[in-house]
Amino acid sequence: MKVEQLTLEKKYHDAVEHWRRHYLKDYDLLLENWDKYFPKDEPFCLCAKMECGTPDTVAVGEHAGEKKRLTPDQLTEDEAKHLLAIIRAQASTEFGSIQQHAGTLARAQDDEDRFWVLRVMAEELRHGYQMFHLLLSQDWSKAAGGVKGEEMVEEILSMQTGSHVLDAFNLEYDSFVDNVCFAALVDRVGKYQLTMQKVCAFRPMADSMPPMLREEAFHLAAGVIPLRRWAKRAAQGDVFISMRAIQKSIHKWYPRALEMFGDERGGDSNLRMGFKDMKNREAQDLYIEEVTRMVRDINARFLRARFPDYTIDKVERVLDELERGRGRHQGVEYDDLLRVPDRRFFRRKGEPAWTMIGADGEPFADVDAYVRYLATQLPEAYLASRDMKTYAETVRQVAAGTLPVAEAVRRMPRLKRVGGNCPCSRSVRWVVEDPAPTNGH
Amino acid sequence: MTQVESPSRVRPLDELDIGSIVKIDERITGIYRPEVWEERAGYYLRRDPDASQVVEIGGKVVGFMLGDIRIGEFGLEEPSGWIERFGIDPDFRGRDLGKRMFEAMSAHFRAQGVTTLRTLVDRQDAGVAGFLGALGFESSRLQALEMRLPTATS
Repeated sequence: MKVEQLTLEKKYHDAVEHWRRHYLKDYDLLLENWDKYFPKDEPFCLCAKMECGTPDTVAVGEHAGEKKRLTPDQLTEDEAKHLLAIIRAQASTEFGSIQQHAGTLARAQDDEDRFWVLRVMAEELRHGYQMFHLLLSQDWSKAAGGVKGEEMVEEILSMQTGSHVLDAFNLEYDSFVDNVCFAALVDRVGKYQLTMQKVCAFRPMADSMPPMLREEAFHLAAGVIPLRRWAKRAAQGDVFISMRAIQKSIHKWYPRALEMFGDERGGDSNLRMGFKDMKNREAQDLYIEEVTRMVRDINARFLRARFPDYTIDKVERVLDELERGRGRHQGVEYDDLLRVPDRRFFRRKGEPAWTMIGADGEPFADVDAYVRYLATQLPEAYLASRDMKTYAETVRQVAAGTLPVAEAVRRMPRLKRVGGNCPCSRSVRWVVEDPAPTNGH
Repeated sequence: MTQVESPSRVRPLDELDIGSIVKIDERITGIYRPEVWEERAGYYLRRDPDASQVVEIGGKVVGFMLGDIRIGEFGLEEPSGWIERFGIDPDFRGRDLGKRMFEAMSAHFRAQGVTTLRTLVDRQDAGVAGFLGALGFESSRLQALEMRLPTATS
């Protein structure tokens, strides 16, 4: 397989570099230390990478068997609009995650963890750059209602935590635990999206996926490997990291990650148009299965560190017993282990939006009791956030019947830039926008 | 009763395979060393995640083969596909699973323009040497050399 490397027109390349100076301040430090932390790896390249030799016929949907589309005008207007929304959302996630990581990067206890996340950030920058290449190398003006590529790029570069397309990218990190849990949980959804888009009927998009996916594999490792190491430290009594702190971060990110798949009942359009090869629920089910495997693996690492004399088979038996009986074993309680929250827990979009379900699937009838319960399940610093305040206000209105669920789903406020586009500008404020049309259902 | 054998599936390594690799390694060597495999998996996943392979039977990982492409080492300017570590759970040996992982890995290397595969083996390890010989590996013009250094004294 061959990969073609492309650079954006200078003014756009410079715009990304300018953005990078604001949000990826340690970029030069990463490059200076590349050989120390990633010896023998190819040097980082801020460029678009297009895989050569991918299939040229549409694999799924109503155009299956036809030649893949090479330009937006070969798509119907509806298809072009739909794909443009996917590209814009993808670009927003790439830049959004860098802004999130930047907030707590310096708090990493280990330099290796910090440099791994730095590399993840640099590669997310490249992925955003990749999406810009798709926006700028084609004429999308018809699908974008006359908006030019450069305006779309400007809009995306002006977004910040609070104004991104998807909720998962509008939450600040509270500690470095969030950097790692985000990589393990939210980047995993990214892997699913990229994998599904490998079949995309728009060939430049399909060609963009394999190089991004190869980089994404390390992003997941940058989440899972530190989690495994932390589980060992927690088991050995390190007071600076606990399974409870990890669990609370999982509670914060997992519901938002599930919502990134789109409404559980949707995804038909993506499939019909040949842009993805799975519907939302199908992909979400596989994701949940994978997260369940990840959590079990980390729990096994924890137990083995707590009981170094146990064989791995015995550890697995103990794990099975603890999961089944929810009891205790030699001082370890079920609650000391990580667990995957119920898929309906703390949801605000999709099928279970605004239902009051606990992490173990238990329903709540009283909204105050539910809010108090959430306060025991989420990271303390996150409780003091604007997001939680808005969530609590909204869930109370939904429970009281004064706000319909459908409206609540679309109502979360956004941080909107109302002045210039450069990140130097501070002209932003919180606004509640008019409800947008629902997506994917 | 006839025992029905679950079909095997060879696929690229991912970060969730570390636990299984640790387990297989422990079955083979008797040593539990998760840190080693966390470090190695991190290395291969960041360099070329499509190169290293695992094999599953019934959804359970029972074998692994790790390697990557390197250029310029020891004066070898041509890209070489290096096979560094592999292991099969002893309960699942004798089913050509190693060969299947090797074929997947070779196909990946070939697609990347590699014309030579390389590895190192302890000649006294007849099992591993025999396995590599059966795959088609031959003695190379390159020779592995080593030298013991005297222990440092204070």
